[in-house]
Amino acid sequence: MLTRRRLLISSLAAAGAAAGPLPIAARAAAPGSANIRIEIDPEGLYNVQSISLIVSNVLGGYLLERLVYLDEKGEPKPWLADSWQTSDDGKVITFKLKPGKTFHDATPFNAEAVKLLFDTILDPNSASPSKGIIGPLEKVDAVDDMTVRFTFSKPFAPFLGLLGQSFFGFNSPTAVKAAGSAYARHPVGTGPFMFKSWTPGTEIVLVRNPNFKQFRPDAANQGLPHLESVTLRVMTEEGVVASALQTGELDIAPLTADAMKPFDGDAEYVIITDKHAKNLMFMEFDYKKAPFSDRKFREAISYAIDRAGVLQAAFGGDGAIALGPLSRGIPGYDDAIAKDDGTPYDPAKAKEILDSLGWVSKDGGTRSKDGVPAHFTVRSYADGTTERALAVIQANLAAVGIQVDIGTADWGSFYPALLKPDWDMDLNRWTWSDPSVMSQLFRSPGHRQLLPPNAAIDSALDAADGELDFKKRMQDVSDAQKAILEDRLILPILTDWPITVTRKVVEGYRLDYLGYTYAGDLKIAAD
Amino acid sequence: MGRYLIRRLLLAAPVVVGILLITFLIKAAVPTDAVTAMYQGQMSEKDAAQAIAALRAKFHLDLPWYQQLMIYGRDLLHGDLGESIRLRRPVVDEIGFRYVNTLILTGVALAIALVVGVTTGVIAAAKRNTWLDVTATTVALFGISMPAFFFGLLLILVVSVWLRLLPVVPHGPIAILLPALSLGLIEAAPISRVTRTSMIDVLRRDYIRAARARGAGELSLILRHGLPNALLVVLTVVGLQIGNLLGGAFIIETIFSWHGIGELAVNSIKWRDFTLTQAIILVSALSYLFINLAVDVLYAWLDPRVEIQA
Repeated sequence: MLTRRRLLISSLAAAGAAAGPLPIAARAAAPGSANIRIEIDPEGLYNVQSISLIVSNVLGGYLLERLVYLDEKGEPKPWLADSWQTSDDGKVITFKLKPGKTFHDATPFNAEAVKLLFDTILDPNSASPSKGIIGPLEKVDAVDDMTVRFTFSKPFAPFLGLLGQSFFGFNSPTAVKAAGSAYARHPVGTGPFMFKSWTPGTEIVLVRNPNFKQFRPDAANQGLPHLESVTLRVMTEEGVVASALQTGELDIAPLTADAMKPFDGDAEYVIITDKHAKNLMFMEFDYKKAPFSDRKFREAISYAIDRAGVLQAAFGGDGAIALGPLSRGIPGYDDAIAKDDGTPYDPAKAKEILDSLGWVSKDGGTRSKDGVPAHFTVRSYADGTTERALAVIQANLAAVGIQVDIGTADWGSFYPALLKPDWDMDLNRWTWSDPSVMSQLFRSPGHRQLLPPNAAIDSALDAADGELDFKKRMQDVSDAQKAILEDRLILPILTDWPITVTRKVVEGYRLDYLGYTYAGDLKIAAD
Repeated sequence: MGRYLIRRLLLAAPVVVGILLITFLIKAAVPTDAVTAMYQGQMSEKDAAQAIAALRAKFHLDLPWYQQLMIYGRDLLHGDLGESIRLRRPVVDEIGFRYVNTLILTGVALAIALVVGVTTGVIAAAKRNTWLDVTATTVALFGISMPAFFFGLLLILVVSVWLRLLPVVPHGPIAILLPALSLGLIEAAPISRVTRTSMIDVLRRDYIRAARARGAGELSLILRHGLPNALLVVLTVVGLQIGNLLGGAFIIETIFSWHGIGELAVNSIKWRDFTLTQAIILVSALSYLFINLAVDVLYAWLDPRVEIQA
């Protein structure tokens, strides 16, 4: 929907673009530093307490390092860990650490630091959001200075991949103990950059770690970071961000597809899309209620949705349509299953199925069955992208004779309200790096308590979550995708690709498999 | 006067209690709280149940709303505004310096609004029906019609991107210029209109005619005899404008990354961080009460005809 606000802002953007290529002002900062936009002020830079996207990006990209990183295929590879061994029953994983790593406060990184992180997460008094992520982890032991043993109540396959996330990056035990509750304002890690200062709501300044040792073989720069400092500037309003890119006050800025337009085709800027994005926009149903309890009816709706149209309307085409139940960026995504068992846009087929189910219309308008009209509700969270997507979906469904009313509320109201059974369909979006997201959503009773037990799906998901061998696990993940898709539990729509605009003087900006910056690779060429 | 002040301050107490009551009722009607908002969509709620329950108990979110209100009231009387659920630090630490920032921004904006508004208003009245008057009135019409966030973006486009006079996000003392101008110039418009009307009205009065007959110069006529009388009406408008300024600051602060209370208010509502929202509402409400009182007292002081009765 075109609001007054959006109209005004886009006319401004157009005015900016019409002014033509602008001379770039002298950079405010020295070439040894980069200014990078962050969308909001982090609530605190301590990964035990917060795993929000912004906290993860700041900690994961610059300050903290993990035991493993994920390679191009999403397979865990040693980073601070040297190697690991899994016990035969899959319940114990023992890591050997690489020697020679020190924290920014010069204390050594060792098994004690690993143990402290996980002990703090497991302690109920920390109320850590990470605790639920590593559910079956029972205890962590420091066997010796460089050996750590993780013990689980049952084999837990997502663990190795999740270790690459910034939630499991290491903080200096000395600093954590000394700072107490103030630690979240003074993080101390082992990463390429060190925390220097934080002006709340304005900027976070990071400086080069002069003792940095690169333990990650896939980074282009194996030496000290190129930049002397990085300033993360908190800037909320996209119109202002675009202006700051034009004046050279920002070098790197994530932007939405709308705000990116003025830079498209301008030689002064480079537009980078993250094609490893791990989000999935999808529709799901109240499976307990007729007609959504019927697999065939769900299938008809799946055929009716023009995913390319939704992608264009909601994200200006920046993304990929989805036919499988897993985001393309998640390890184990199986394109063959999506192609063979997916439901590409085919309104004729949708109509045919609806006819066969007895949902008919005499005048070509809204269908009905046994006197009940095909008139349903779709819920979603309030956001420009979902609202535009819903407009297309509503038109698509109307074209096959199904009328829907749209209801949106902000996420905090929308998501809990799904627990009350007064809705028919919802448009949802989840982002997660591990295929276990499928079990979070679709292992009975499902994330909204509406799924009847389904032995085929549940056992496929359990197998995928319990297999620690990467290759074997990927096969299990394929089986699970097939089972979920065949049952039409999910109506996959698209994965959108987050966009970053950089000035052309920026070199070495790239994101790893999990979307973290290779901060040591970043370089600013002289203007 | 002293008795009047005491009476007004006593009357403020039920207003504050009423505001607290209403915000707690709204909170009771909202289906989520900060803890669920923090955890939802990030992990399996089943696995997180323990962590969620621990945090909710810590912040008394598991109690019925009236018990929460009583606990909040008790803490408040002890001068304790509580701890932010999301930021995990005392609310006072987070609000204090931001409130000062907002006061500075609205103060500078108000000064700009007054200087620009009163000057153009007086000129327009003195040069009534000339091109100066028409220009001032037309510009003021644009000012009244334009939303502050749009004017802010326009200012950035012209001043920073086209003319390269100031950085988009300036640092140091000049940082206040763009946000204060965006807020102040918009608010100057109604002040200018009211000053003009009031001034025209005053200039028609007998005492002005008498002063002119006694040979007072045109400038002294306007500034000494006319303006002080015309400003009484302007003062009432300014009292209302301060409310607008505080409201407008919510948006302007977000646009210019000005670290004030408005930006925090928006986020705290988004996060459902009720302790934070509650404290901001309380501080804003007290500010309004104080400003209203100040305007009333100032009015009586400026105009001897207005008498304050206890």
